[in-house]
Amino acid sequence: MKVKIKSWVGVATWRWVANDDTCGICRLAFENCCPDCKLPGDDCPLVWGQCSHCYHMHCIMKWLNSQQVRQLCPMCRQEWKFKE
Amino acid sequence: MSLKPKEMNFSDTWGDLQKTVHGVITLSNIPRYVWQDRFADVYQLCVAYPESLADKLYIETKNFLDNHVKGLLEHLSTLSHDNIIYNYYECWRRYNKGIIYLHELYSYLNNQHIRKNKLSEAELIYGNHPIDDLEQMEIGELGLEIWKKNMIEPLQGSLVSAILECINQDRNNNGHLINAEVVRGVIESFVAVNKFKKRNNIELYRTLLEKPLVAASGEYFRSQADIWFQNCTITQYMERVIKLFEEESVRCQRFLHSSSHAIMKQCCEKYMVEDYLCALYNEAKSIISQERQQDMANMYILLRSVSKNLIPYMTEFKDHIIEEGLQRLNEIKGDNMCMSFVEIIMSIYRKYKEMIEKIFQSDKNFTSALDKACISIVNYSPDNKSYKSSELLAKYCDQLLKKSSKGLSEMEVDEKLTDAIIIFKYLDDKDMFQKFYSRMLAKRLIHQNSQSMDAEESMIDKLKTACGYEFTNKLHRMFTDMKISEDLTEKFNSQYLPDKRVVLSLNFHVHILQAGSWPLGQTNITSFTIPQEFTQSMQAFEKFYNCQYNGRRLTWMYHLSQGELKLCYLNKVHLITMQTFQMAILLLFENTLTMTCSEIVNTLQLNWDQFLKNCVTLVECKILLANTKELENDTVLSLNEKYYNKRTRLRITASLQKETPMETTQTITSVEEDRKLFIQATIVRIMKSRKLLKHNALIQEILSQCITFNPSISMIKKCIETLIEKQYMERARNSRDEYSYIA
Repeated sequence: MKVKIKSWVGVATWRWVANDDTCGICRLAFENCCPDCKLPGDDCPLVWGQCSHCYHMHCIMKWLNSQQVRQLCPMCRQEWKFKE
Repeated sequence: MSLKPKEMNFSDTWGDLQKTVHGVITLSNIPRYVWQDRFADVYQLCVAYPESLADKLYIETKNFLDNHVKGLLEHLSTLSHDNIIYNYYECWRRYNKGIIYLHELYSYLNNQHIRKNKLSEAELIYGNHPIDDLEQMEIGELGLEIWKKNMIEPLQGSLVSAILECINQDRNNNGHLINAEVVRGVIESFVAVNKFKKRNNIELYRTLLEKPLVAASGEYFRSQADIWFQNCTITQYMERVIKLFEEESVRCQRFLHSSSHAIMKQCCEKYMVEDYLCALYNEAKSIISQERQQDMANMYILLRSVSKNLIPYMTEFKDHIIEEGLQRLNEIKGDNMCMSFVEIIMSIYRKYKEMIEKIFQSDKNFTSALDKACISIVNYSPDNKSYKSSELLAKYCDQLLKKSSKGLSEMEVDEKLTDAIIIFKYLDDKDMFQKFYSRMLAKRLIHQNSQSMDAEESMIDKLKTACGYEFTNKLHRMFTDMKISEDLTEKFNSQYLPDKRVVLSLNFHVHILQAGSWPLGQTNITSFTIPQEFTQSMQAFEKFYNCQYNGRRLTWMYHLSQGELKLCYLNKVHLITMQTFQMAILLLFENTLTMTCSEIVNTLQLNWDQFLKNCVTLVECKILLANTKELENDTVLSLNEKYYNKRTRLRITASLQKETPMETTQTITSVEEDRKLFIQATIVRIMKSRKLLKHNALIQEILSQCITFNPSISMIKKCIETLIEKQYMERARNSRDEYSYIA
């Protein structure tokens, strides 16, 4: 071997991969944060339901807390369960 | 002695009493028993039966005093006129003392008879009783009143002119007046004769003495000022005036009533400063430009009492600082511009700050003049490159925080960064600085080029203190990403890999950055076929990352990644830190000795610009040899098998990590974009709450909300146009310069 890689410092950026560009509740882009947050990213994460719909965590929590009887996904009306 | 009222023979009793009264007023020796008898007599007269003789006693006493003072006046007029104030003073001293005793002797009359009939203070102030001249006065007051009528009034002309003469002498003798006590005594007598009055008790002093004195002094100051101004340099003039101020102030203390001090000071200033303001201002320029410190201090003393007088002087001072600053900034040359930029500004700042403390007694007005001057200097842009200062300042910080800063101790670095903050506060384009700073910080972090994380964090804290959390939260975010990345690397290498029984071929680290928080130019991203040597590690890590976080996709930034490559084909082993692209290029030579540029570009799918940048470095440091001077498509590259460097470990990344001019322009345009968005958002916010707003009011509101930069009016107008086009707002229909919000 003429040359050998001893070590490598890789740099990568991350983005959310969601099935939509915007959050169905607040209509803001997933790239950005929910209306209550100032900074996107770790502070304002996304969550997926088992129905495969995706929202800002803060948005869906607000929605679920406001539901009195059954907790449904606002998009498909199926019962909301967090995807593991 | 009985206290019972009884019949009294007035003339007998008064005969005895009168002798004693004469004794008291001339301060002769009066035996105690006589005093007590006479004291009782006063009582008996007042309570006499069948009717009180108090009024009679009062009238007789008044007549007696009247005659006594007239006698004194006559006596005075026989004495030499030259010594009038001395003689007057002697008489006054004795009389004043005597009258105090007499007041005591007549205590009963005063307390029981006169005071009862007197109007109370409340009646005097609120009631509309005309002040009755015939009202009886207490004996002390009566005595002083008589003195005023019979002594001061006839003598006032000669007394006052004598006093003025004395004060004049005092001025000419540098304050060595022999009979200072006498003069003061006489002046005090003018105040003292009215001491029983409840109101206007310095009125007499005012009209009698103060007015003529101020007039005479004014004349004296005017002529002195005139003479001095004709014959002296400005330096001497100011020195003399200040000396005169001091002397006059001492003179006031020595002779005059405290109410006059301020008036005399004003009088001095009027004739010696106000009248010469223009002349002083004319000289101010040369005094300041030559930095004659004593003169500067003196001029400040002369001007300070009227703050509006200081304004032209301060302006002159400010202009001088600006002139010096700009001149020195224009002289900056060479490649270490940022260092000299900061050093020059700081040296000016320090110099004048010290000057203000020393010369201008830390006057707030001058401090703000210095601030204004510094703002002009810091934001000075010779050829409309308004970003220049922000860039220089950010570069200055970068140099300090980078590795390899010239052996400065942590303390020194910290001090220099504090300097940077001082300048930062003067900066208009704080957002521009932030952009430059965050780019440079990103590079330092990603390329592991920071001298110390503590220094980095303390600098960010300083910025936060100076400009608030909003301003630095992206910078903080970058730090958090670095910490998270470190943890991830650790977890990946020490838990995930052993668990999965995977052994990587290389030592693997990552920096995982959150896309929005880092100022990473999009333009540098290029297609690239990553050599398979890397793929194993990358794939393993991506798997690991997906277990850690749901719903995130990683994009590798090859142009930011770097690694260490071991060169084994030489006599001596070298470990070279280089960019990923460079590693990829060298890996291609595994099975061959020569390759053309186009072959490399095709294999790696690199764009030509990136290839050129990376490859040129390899050629320049002689790891690769090229057969043409410039790299062309068909240039043949070959491994330099005789490569030698005395160091085993080295980096060749430095030149690639430098800020390029293109990046600078990118930064500038991105700042401008951000500004436009900020202004638009501000406008919408304002309009949303106001619904209807006049143009000028809107502009004012916008300006007040832009803290980190000063938007130009034309930029604001453009933003308004854009928003009208986008139908966020419209021009109000029935008004020309009003906008209304469209919901």
